[in-house]
Amino acid sequence: MSAIDRTMHGLLAPPRVLEDADRLAVRTLLVAGLSPLAEQQPVGAQAVVSLPALRRMGTGADPLLEEPFTWKPAYVRRSLGLAVVQACATGHFRAPAQAVAPVADAAVEEWSRTGWRTFHWEPWLAGLAPGARAVVLADALTWATALWSALDWGAMPGATQIGGLDDQWVCPATRTLRLRARSELRVPLSGSPGDAHPGGPSALVSVSSGCPGPGWSEELAYLALVAGLRSPSRPVPSRVLGLWPDAGFRGFVEIDRPVLEGTVERVVATAAGLVQARTTRPGPGGADVDAAAPPSSLAAA
Amino acid sequence: MVVVDIDRTSQVPLRDGLGAEPGAGPGPTPPAIPTPRQVSPARRQDRWHPLSGPELLNRLRVTGRRRPPADPELAQRLRSALDHGLLPPDAAPLPAPGAPLVVTKDRLTRALACELHAEPSGFGDRTPTTALACGALVSALFRQLVTVGALGDPMADGLAALATDGRQRALVDWIGGLASAERRELEAEVVRQARGLECRWPTLDASWLPRTQEVLRARVAEGTVELSARVDLAIGRPAVDEASVALLEATSGSRCRQHRADLHFYALVETLRSGVPPFVVATYYTRTGELDVEPVTEELLSAAARRTVVGIRSISELERGTAVRPPGGLCVRCTPLPGWGLGHPPVGGGATGRRDGELDRGAA
Repeated sequence: MSAIDRTMHGLLAPPRVLEDADRLAVRTLLVAGLSPLAEQQPVGAQAVVSLPALRRMGTGADPLLEEPFTWKPAYVRRSLGLAVVQACATGHFRAPAQAVAPVADAAVEEWSRTGWRTFHWEPWLAGLAPGARAVVLADALTWATALWSALDWGAMPGATQIGGLDDQWVCPATRTLRLRARSELRVPLSGSPGDAHPGGPSALVSVSSGCPGPGWSEELAYLALVAGLRSPSRPVPSRVLGLWPDAGFRGFVEIDRPVLEGTVERVVATAAGLVQARTTRPGPGGADVDAAAPPSSLAAA
Repeated sequence: MVVVDIDRTSQVPLRDGLGAEPGAGPGPTPPAIPTPRQVSPARRQDRWHPLSGPELLNRLRVTGRRRPPADPELAQRLRSALDHGLLPPDAAPLPAPGAPLVVTKDRLTRALACELHAEPSGFGDRTPTTALACGALVSALFRQLVTVGALGDPMADGLAALATDGRQRALVDWIGGLASAERRELEAEVVRQARGLECRWPTLDASWLPRTQEVLRARVAEGTVELSARVDLAIGRPAVDEASVALLEATSGSRCRQHRADLHFYALVETLRSGVPPFVVATYYTRTGELDVEPVTEELLSAAARRTVVGIRSISELERGTAVRPPGGLCVRCTPLPGWGLGHPPVGGGATGRRDGELDRGAA
């Protein structure tokens, strides 16, 4: 069995859905941990816990690492790469190398015609010289190819969502503490073939660069936690597949109550670090505490 | 631009990845290699021509050896060799997990060439030179050609590409500050190499999944060491039964033995990361159009693992300040200029003031 076969087998295995009581217990634990931290924030500030923040805190890196936002190819590759994968998955193109230029051109053309920015980067890309545009396309192509070649797209359920909006949840407190997460794919699952539907059990797929750190399973579970908090009427995702193409690593985490409780612990620790850093080193009033990542909407596919 | 017609290469049946080599079955006997006496005067007048288009692609695809099978134990054997070499019971500990020692081809090479001049803590910022600038520009153009299939004004395209990378700011500024004569010289070489690329480099079929600047990483020695590489071009689908990926470096400089060692390191990292080796590694010399192709074998990978172990131990000793080996003869910065002894850099710094890559004219 090849690595792709093993991955698909694990991804599409029959789901185990979290009980409502367990889900409520996890939420209660999270709110109890985060609420006091939210209240400690300066007026106007809002902490945002994200996957990069979770990882930075795990490595001891500066949680407030900030750099002024300017467009660069790295901020385009995910959203353009997902659009490329979408175009291939729907059969419009055979492979990412065929799709990347037409998809980028179509986005720019659509923006030129209507003024609507699906990806936000269209005006920037339109203004680039050919050499710089080629770098953007090349980065997106390499990213998309990694995702495209990691899975058997012929075996993916038809309702698989590629990209989409970030999941967000705000802790119920007087000051804002937000959890934000994004997955590359949402795969509907079912016990029997053909039974998968978007509102039912699901799996998430996450693509990361670099090598997985020691807490990779909690990091993957974080995506399921936020997805479950954001959509209380839908089941919490049953599993998350993490792909680290640089390292050739594929890891699953099956979502259950102990896994989520461990994740809550890490989220609370991260939020505490973010709030403390902002308290001891105040920045501009009202700024997001989560930095070093482009605005979430920029990466939406 | 030469376009490879995939259908017309059906004499070489395509499979997953880069297509298969011609079978080892019966076929026409290859013509005997002519001895010097048999070479006609007209033939002797022929000059060597670089490969282009389908020929170039076939040279990459057809290595003359059977592609390595997807053997799950091979990567495990290599990993064990690295672990045993890096974690012997009596050795000083490597850095603690959480802060892995990142090892790149350049860092490895510097440490192996000369411990005196290898920089212990970092990766070494290279002083901009015309050769370095040419290499960076041509590398960007190669990437552009592979991705979009066309080049415009090579200098403008290359500079625009470099400007998107904040790490290249110093180089871009340096190019901007060149005197007009030097800039013209640089531009002439970049344009010459770009035109050569356009003429010779084949269009790659999208189904071969070409990707540029692909990052390869593998952690070994209980996570204390991270082997890291960035390949100019990778082609081929993930392996199923046998190796199906080709790795290629595009280089604007001259042929150098070191390039093969770099490729072997890439092959090692790819094997550790994906579990299957690439079937071939190659260097494409954009200056001349030469393609240096090397099939990947287990022996090659084992040798690369041994070299990597030695290099990592050197880097580790440098980091701890316990390096004891004498300076290496391969290090251009150790080369004695008049009045210097081998291995003794000038007071106050290690740089000789020579440009990277200049020949060791003063060496005894």
